[in-house]
Amino acid sequence: MGKPQYHTDIVKSFVNWSLVWGVVAVLVGVIVSFQMINPDLNYPPYFTFGRLRPIHTNAGIYGWGVGTIFAMFIYMVQRLCKTPLWSLGLARFQLWLFNATIIAAAVTLLLGYNTTLEYHEMEWPIDLMIVVLWVVFSINIIMTIIKRKEEQMYISLWYMMAALIGVAILFTVNALAVPVSAFKSYSIFAGTNSANVQWWFGHNAVAMALTAPPLAMFYYFLPKSTGVPIYSHRLSIIAFWSLIFMYLWTGAHHLLWTPIPDWIQTLAMAFSIMLIAPSWGSVINGYMSMKGQWHQMRDNYLVKFLILGITFYGLQTLQGPMQAIRTFSAFIHYTDWVPGHIHMGTMGWVSLVSVAGIYFLLPRIYGREVYSIPLANLHFWLVVIGQLIWSTSMWISGILQAGMWNAMNADGSLTYTFTETMVEMYPYWWIRAIGGVIYLIGILVFIYNVYMTVQKGKEPAPKLLEVEGRA
Amino acid sequence: MDLASIMYLAVTFGLFVIFALIVGNTYKRKNKQKKEAPKYRMMDDD
Amino acid sequence: MWEKKPILLMLMATAAILVGTTITMILPFVWVNTEADRIEGVTPYTPLEQEGRDIYMREGCNNCHTQTVRPLVAEVLRYGDYSKSGEFVYDRPFLWGSKRTGPDLARLGGKYPDAWHYQHMETPRSIFPKTNMPAYGWLSNNALKPDKVRRKMQVLGFPHSEAQIAELATKNEMDAIIAYMQKLGSDIPWRQTGRTEIVGELRNPFSGADQTTLAGWRPLYQSNCSACHGTNMEGGIGPELVGDYYDEETLFRIIYDGIAAGGMPAYANLGSERVWQLVNLIKYDQSTGD
Ligand code: HEC
Ligand code: HEC
Ligand code: HEM
Ligand code: HEM
Repeated sequence: MGKPQYHTDIVKSFVNWSLVWGVVAVLVGVIVSFQMINPDLNYPPYFTFGRLRPIHTNAGIYGWGVGTIFAMFIYMVQRLCKTPLWSLGLARFQLWLFNATIIAAAVTLLLGYNTTLEYHEMEWPIDLMIVVLWVVFSINIIMTIIKRKEEQMYISLWYMMAALIGVAILFTVNALAVPVSAFKSYSIFAGTNSANVQWWFGHNAVAMALTAPPLAMFYYFLPKSTGVPIYSHRLSIIAFWSLIFMYLWTGAHHLLWTPIPDWIQTLAMAFSIMLIAPSWGSVINGYMSMKGQWHQMRDNYLVKFLILGITFYGLQTLQGPMQAIRTFSAFIHYTDWVPGHIHMGTMGWVSLVSVAGIYFLLPRIYGREVYSIPLANLHFWLVVIGQLIWSTSMWISGILQAGMWNAMNADGSLTYTFTETMVEMYPYWWIRAIGGVIYLIGILVFIYNVYMTVQKGKEPAPKLLEVEGRA
Repeated sequence: MDLASIMYLAVTFGLFVIFALIVGNTYKRKNKQKKEAPKYRMMDDD
Repeated sequence: MWEKKPILLMLMATAAILVGTTITMILPFVWVNTEADRIEGVTPYTPLEQEGRDIYMREGCNNCHTQTVRPLVAEVLRYGDYSKSGEFVYDRPFLWGSKRTGPDLARLGGKYPDAWHYQHMETPRSIFPKTNMPAYGWLSNNALKPDKVRRKMQVLGFPHSEAQIAELATKNEMDAIIAYMQKLGSDIPWRQTGRTEIVGELRNPFSGADQTTLAGWRPLYQSNCSACHGTNMEGGIGPELVGDYYDEETLFRIIYDGIAAGGMPAYANLGSERVWQLVNLIKYDQSTGD
């Protein structure tokens, strides 16, 4: 029996477009980081910090993050099911709708159509596009799984299915609104309820878009890159059920000390701490899979990206629960510390694993060896150093800021006015911006390497050759 | 105990039982081969 | 079992997701925003204020400003009384925010006079030379659209009169956003009840400070007061400051407690020591004012 004819052209397209949106996201990130240093860089009405920041976050999460999720899921599902994608036509439609949605989102956000719900800033017509997009994607993946040739499902497929369902539920509920006009609506939820629903969504967007899918990729690409199976499939199963069960309780850790009922906050705090277990279940599984393979950290750049990625995930899931403790939250909430946390997750964990996936795919979808491994290593060091500078500078400034906000004189009055505290942040915002530029250069090196692979890469070893004849 | 506490305990206990069942089922010695199979099978997909 | 049945696996995953969802997201609707939460005096936004709120959302002010004061000592001192659930029942959606690049605005209403806001929005750096808040003067060039606002009020079900709608034709976006800011947090009378009491006798700790010492305190005045009272205390948004008008103790109380009705902010958060330095500066520094 011949090998199934996998569709890879569509994977190429998703990879290319997610790279485009990734560069946009990082570029806008660098721009907003300079706007925080110098307000003269705001060009009203469209190019102000208030309008660009949501473009940065959404381009990052949806353009780059979800774009690679599309590419990787479509690639992985075919291999893991040993069957071609259910419908190529649907996937092609999905590609166009994806780009149309991202463009529509960017344009409307520039125009100021902004619901202010974080990671859900787009107004209702774009929400509708996103819903259609996700349904089309889900149907395709699920149908492929149903028609699979491999009876028992590998853990990556589990995470993929959970993500499909999770995002669908979360996104739809938080989108509920009454339209006033083509680009303005009012949420059906008010005040404290609206806050609670938003962060139930917000934190689980982290779970279902920035945790489950990268885990699916990690569980797939790590064994593929090292050539050794994952340490324990059973451990990954236990971690899976605990993770998707516990995440949904924790949204209110974004709302500690606010008017949200206390018991919800307490539950969120408790479950956040419990979440360490399933998160580290995957981290340990990853480390244990490296037993006897640690030398690959030196020889194999893919492993380097993956293991550093899972390490950042491990740190992220220790830092997160810490932030979810009331006393610690009282201190660092609202400060620069939090962007430090976020970017360790997005630039470290999500991006490193996605990038490893892309490097892994290149020879398999283009039939060419990666153009330059030294460049891949340079890319690695630039993004890791850029990100460490970024996050570390924000953790330091966050603590400094929190310390000054809380400082009191002997007579019980505050030591610093607000503006006295904010001017102290400038040096750190400079350091962050420089870290961001280094990271951006790393991304450009990556893009160059991808481009040259496609243009000039050498024929790979025969084992990797499997460019399909059709599609 | 009032009704709320009883409900609370019942739900907690129920969830715990479900968790124990999943762990038990997954780690049953008899199931070892079967549950670990996918990690080997996924290695030769391409 | 489920590892061979994708549909079953997805149903189970859905069930797992729905447990926490039901308890922490759906169940709270039973208690939140009900009669128990209601606070007397909290009123819906007027058409002008609601339009200002929508402009606040459009400009993404929430990316730098939060709108909820937590019940923590330093925070209540800095911003005012902590936020209560009932204060937000007309907020669709909430605007609590997640990042304080700028200060919290939940208790902003009544802190400054309108004139201060016009100047601050126009050129924030004229008030705080090192702020990174963008300038929003261009908002004054944009007229409001009464018909659109009427429709919004209908969708929200907020009371409004045709006179209020008609009035919008004479206003611009800057008027609206400032009206909104003056409404923030002022539905409950916290300014009157929440004053920090100065206990004990007031005694000037810097009595008889010489002119050089006084000169050393001038930057304190420049960074906090000059925006309203002028670089040389000649007046502007606030009146000219003439040392002889008040005795030390009254001056201290004015600065420390502010004059809420007149638009003079309270400076208790500077601490009594620095307030005394300002008192001495206003009364005895010979290089300025009188
Ligand atoms: C880049 C971040 C940033 C953005 C965006 C921003 N602000 Fe600010 N804002 C600040 C900073 C920093 C301060 C403190 C210094 C000052 O008053 O300028 C401030 C202060 C203020 C104050 C004074 C608060 C007080 O208690 O003294 C008001 C009012 C205000 N901003 C309103 C707005 C509005 C309305 C918008 C949107 C149109 C906005 N800000 C957008 C950063 C920002
Ligand atoms: C937002 C603008 C604003 C700022 C900033 C401000 N003031 Fe005022 N101040 C006013 C206004 C308006 C009045 C008049 C209030 C009234 O009489 O009803 C006033 C009144 C006063 C008075 C009483 C003057 C009189 O003749 O009645 C004193 C004293 C004073 N301010 C001192 C200060 C000091 C000191 C600072 C800096 C720490 C300061 N103000 C900052 C607006 C401001
Ligand atoms: C060079 C790279 C990057 C730079 C310079 C950068 C810069 C920034 C800046 C300046 C902010 C605003 C922080 C604040 O308000 O204090 C921000 C926020 C954010 N960024 Fe980035 N970013 C980068 C990469 C990314 C990537 C790759 C992602 C996602 C995949 C991402 C996701 C986010 C998110 C989610 C926020 C919101 C933070 C919050 O809500 O508090 N960023 N970024
Ligand atoms: C066990 C896991 C985790 C826990 C318990 C956790 C906890 C938290 C907490 C408590 C906050 C709020 C901080 C504050 O505002 O005070 C937060 C913010 C955030 N976290 Fe995590 N975190 C975890 C993992 C992750 C991961 C893996 C990512 C991936 C990128 C991530 C991304 C974010 C983002 C984007 C925000 C910012 C939300 C905002 O806009 O305010 N987190 N996290």
